[in-house]
Amino acid sequence: MSGRRVFITGMGFETPHGQDPRGVFERLFQGESAVQMVRSGTAEFGSDVVLAPVDFDPGDTIPKVPLLFMARAAQMAVVAAHKAIRSTGLLVDDRGPRDAGVYMGCGLGGAEIIQEGYRTFYEQKSKRFKRSTVPMIMANAAAAHISMRYKIQGPAHTYSIACSSSTVAIGEAFRAVRDGYLEVAIAGGTEAMLNHGSIAAWERLGVLAREHPDGVLASSRPFDAERTGFVLGEGAVILVIENEDRVSARRATPVAEIIGYGSSSDAHNLIEPLADGQERTMWNGILDSGIDPGEVGYINAHATGTPTGDPVEIDAIKRVFGAHARQLAVSSTKSMHGHLVGAAGALECAITALALSEGRIPPTANLTTPDPACDLDCVPGVGRAVPDLAVAMSNSFAFGGSNATLVLRKA
Amino acid sequence: MTSYPFLAQLLVDKYDVDAQSIHPEATMTELDLDSLTLTEILFDLEDEFGIEVPEERATFSTLGEATAVIDDLVRVKETTE
Repeated sequence: MSGRRVFITGMGFETPHGQDPRGVFERLFQGESAVQMVRSGTAEFGSDVVLAPVDFDPGDTIPKVPLLFMARAAQMAVVAAHKAIRSTGLLVDDRGPRDAGVYMGCGLGGAEIIQEGYRTFYEQKSKRFKRSTVPMIMANAAAAHISMRYKIQGPAHTYSIACSSSTVAIGEAFRAVRDGYLEVAIAGGTEAMLNHGSIAAWERLGVLAREHPDGVLASSRPFDAERTGFVLGEGAVILVIENEDRVSARRATPVAEIIGYGSSSDAHNLIEPLADGQERTMWNGILDSGIDPGEVGYINAHATGTPTGDPVEIDAIKRVFGAHARQLAVSSTKSMHGHLVGAAGALECAITALALSEGRIPPTANLTTPDPACDLDCVPGVGRAVPDLAVAMSNSFAFGGSNATLVLRKA
Repeated sequence: MTSYPFLAQLLVDKYDVDAQSIHPEATMTELDLDSLTLTEILFDLEDEFGIEVPEERATFSTLGEATAVIDDLVRVKETTE
């Protein structure tokens, strides 16, 4: 599709590996896991859970009173947005670019506030939970707070599409900038559902990873024959994306260029993935970008580490790329940062952008015994320098069969 | 006993209100307290004094008026206990 070229010019991270994007990338490149064993606190179940939490402190980035009305997901998003906008130099007098759009992905919103309210209501038979419960749990709270905090007056949209949320958010922001509706967008995702009730629900679904015999750090192992599920994570990642005119005028140094976005639906099953739908989203992204599939050198896979999901994605990649599937690198960085659900796509898009910027592909950690059904080059163990890496993709596939793909090029 | 000292301190400690601007005639608007913040302040007052403020009585505009409502509800509670 023709239109204005679109660049990622800023990033803000609140992730299991930390807050500095290049520092996080370095740790990922070395194959370092941020997974921890966390006492779930669900006394009635008594289980410990392998999770990827964020060491988060809002500090003085958020004033005292607004902080009272923000759930953790919104807090992390505002702090990440602050860092992203500041990193571009567009934070002036504590305000962001006024005409920008805010495009956020979020799966569940204020999960811990829902839990707190239900606990009061059902356990204590009381309605004396926070009066601001509703505006704290709504999925669009993060986007609203970013808009209010930085006086950003363009559209403030939230996409709640489970694991694809923030890939769609960035994709839609990309389209709005490319097609001339906006010059700049603040786009990303946030998720914070490492609370007892949410963890118990994930456990019941049977998709969470168990501790691996080699230790907690080895528990997230996409594409590996010994994988048992995914490690639930949390975090917020925000990107600043701008059109080429602004980038040139500001003489900004972009991290990478976004060149395509595709989406599709499986129309199949709530939780079982389908290669056909994944194939179509990747094709849609490729067609949108106008590239030849043979140009893609790296795919940051959705691959969560569930026995069911990973081979389906490998199959879909083979269908799209044919013989070239064996020439490109495919890695799942969820092996190290876990699954950030509504923020997963934003983090993985940012990692893909950094991979292009640095000419270095991050690995799939813990891939010691490859599943024969996952027989592509999945970059086991540690990262790989690929100085001529020019085009890369990032996939996200959600429960409900909603798929999304971003295509990026070295800036 | 009056709830005013508690309310004044609460506004400073939790709601970041400038202590210099707090006086009985100060309105919620003057203190930049929006409706959502007011509901949380009421919640804090209810918790502190063990009362419930009926919606029809939560219509005060100044700190002094708010204190009068709280104090009255506390008196009613004490006489019925």
